[in-house]
Amino acid sequence: MTSESTLFSNRWLPILLVAPFMLLIVLFFYVPIFQAFYWSFFLEQPFGGGSMFVGFDNFARVLSDREFWQAGWRTIIFMVTASSLAVLIPLILAVAADRKIRLSLPARNVLVWPKGVAGASIGVVFAFIFNPFVGILAPLNSISPGIWAPGLDGLDAFITLIAAHVWGGIPFNFVILLAGLQSIPRTMHQAAAMDGAGPWRRIFDVQLPLIMPQLFLTLVLEFTESVTSAFALIDTITKGGPGGATTLLVYKIYVDGFSGYDLSGASTQTAILMVFVILLTAAQFLFLGRRINYER
Amino acid sequence: MNAIDTAIRAAAASITVKGLTKAYDPQTVVIPPMDVELKAGEFTVVLGPSGCGKSTLLQMIAGLERVSGGKILIGAREVQDLEPKHRGCAMVFQNYALYPHMSVFENMAYSLKVAGMAKAERAERVAAVAKMLGLADYLHRKPGQLSGGQRQRVAIGRAIVREPGVLLFDEPLSNLDAQLRHDMRIELADLHRRIGATTVFVTHDQVEAMTLADRILILNKGRIEQFDTPKAIYHHPASVFVAKFIGAPPMNILPVTGDGSALRLADGQVVANAPLTGAYQLGIRPEDIVVDGKADGHAVKAALRFREDLGSHSVLAVDLGGSIVRIATPFGADIADRLELLLNFPTSRLHLFDAATGRAIPGAFGAQ
Repeated sequence: MTSESTLFSNRWLPILLVAPFMLLIVLFFYVPIFQAFYWSFFLEQPFGGGSMFVGFDNFARVLSDREFWQAGWRTIIFMVTASSLAVLIPLILAVAADRKIRLSLPARNVLVWPKGVAGASIGVVFAFIFNPFVGILAPLNSISPGIWAPGLDGLDAFITLIAAHVWGGIPFNFVILLAGLQSIPRTMHQAAAMDGAGPWRRIFDVQLPLIMPQLFLTLVLEFTESVTSAFALIDTITKGGPGGATTLLVYKIYVDGFSGYDLSGASTQTAILMVFVILLTAAQFLFLGRRINYER
Repeated sequence: MNAIDTAIRAAAASITVKGLTKAYDPQTVVIPPMDVELKAGEFTVVLGPSGCGKSTLLQMIAGLERVSGGKILIGAREVQDLEPKHRGCAMVFQNYALYPHMSVFENMAYSLKVAGMAKAERAERVAAVAKMLGLADYLHRKPGQLSGGQRQRVAIGRAIVREPGVLLFDEPLSNLDAQLRHDMRIELADLHRRIGATTVFVTHDQVEAMTLADRILILNKGRIEQFDTPKAIYHHPASVFVAKFIGAPPMNILPVTGDGSALRLADGQVVANAPLTGAYQLGIRPEDIVVDGKADGHAVKAALRFREDLGSHSVLAVDLGGSIVRIATPFGADIADRLELLLNFPTSRLHLFDAATGRAIPGAFGAQ
């Protein structure tokens, strides 16, 4: 207590410093979320003008909707594949880079930039890159017409989405994982080499266990992010099509709420998605986080 | 003596280095061509100041550093192009380099596991080594839960569990505090006596070298200054570098000039009779100088600058013809508050070195 009070003699200063950030988070995150939870128990009129308390009727309606479950499954598939790839690919790159490269500070900065590119911009770029007529896979179609058709084939559209998402995640995860790898002392590699472990064996026995904290961080961030940030990509690349094949929950909420004016249904789905993400993160911390060794 | 001791003693191999060089580029030569032979079962300490190439030499023997030229033989086998795992060496690192995510048992068993040894045999081997090093109660702990000395023992255990032909130590005691360093030194000496592994131990600490080594290899800028027993190195240093590096305080080195019959200090005082002419460097150990004695040789006058009482003995620093000379005297000797001392340099205790090369000139004062 004494050390804390000597460190922060003014008890209002810390609160003052945190206040702007807290204000933003409350105003643009907690208020809307609680609003959505609140609305999910009401039947809301599309153009305003009164609402009616209906208890769990909204939940019953949403949970019995086949399209909701389909979108839910697609969300999970997207989450698992996209975030695994968004961690795995940078991991491979980082292990390779760690063998020789010492990254300079400017290089690290340049690498993080794509993290700052808006999802919509990435979407526009990838819509062009994977365009079946002029994109990089267009030559496939000249060999066998129709083999690459993200506008018609749901799987192709899904692959496009995943590729765009993974591309956006690579730089940040790469930098985090590489930093983890580079903080492993050189003598640790030497000790393993003396113990007879070759380069491949060292990756699995020494390097991966020692960067578990970094792997865990990137995985948790990826899992939560892939659920929500896919929206911008879907909106710019596929609009949820073809035939709903890329309608993830986050996009379905937007369409239901702002195109279909089913405000209550959208609120209910938001509440469900929110609870899902919270449970998922909690589970990760509970089952993975606890087994991680932070000691060096 | 148990099975592990016998196995290591049997595996102990000699190390022969022939024309070994290390250069990062033609301008930065770390080790010029070196030839040396370390006998099987011998404890060799490689001693030198930082940057003298001693760690590089060790890493080249281990296979962690490429050789630029020459050969390394372990036993009769040429190993300079082999992977570390095929050389039969084990190493203890300065920061121990234990795997933090593995228990003490897993740390020690790792090399056996990589080598594909059966689980039961692994457990047996680790248990034997753990017992020998007093680690049996800590096998389930992680390195982070151990003290510095215990980690050190785990690192040693990890090295000897493989029954290596050669045991390499890279300044393993420098991270420990003074008391623990002393204890570990005794433990290491005891361990070596029991298992008899060929040991190469790199350090910059002369006390470790003197107490542990069968033979000391002194390196200076990658060159071997002297390779001999601790006793020979202390009493017959081969060069000024060695003389100054060994001993605390180190040997006094004074510039002298021979006039054909006697050696004179810079201020003209005669310290010894010798039929020599020209410039030399004269060495004498602090404990060999006689204060106020009338032994053989000539008495010289020196001004007392300061004294340090260390309990077991006192160290006097005196000004002798412009050079500071250190003298070790019995504690409490009656020299208090005197400004001028009469010193005797017993001829049998003098060392003479070439002024230009710094190499010793043996037999300059008759038989030594």
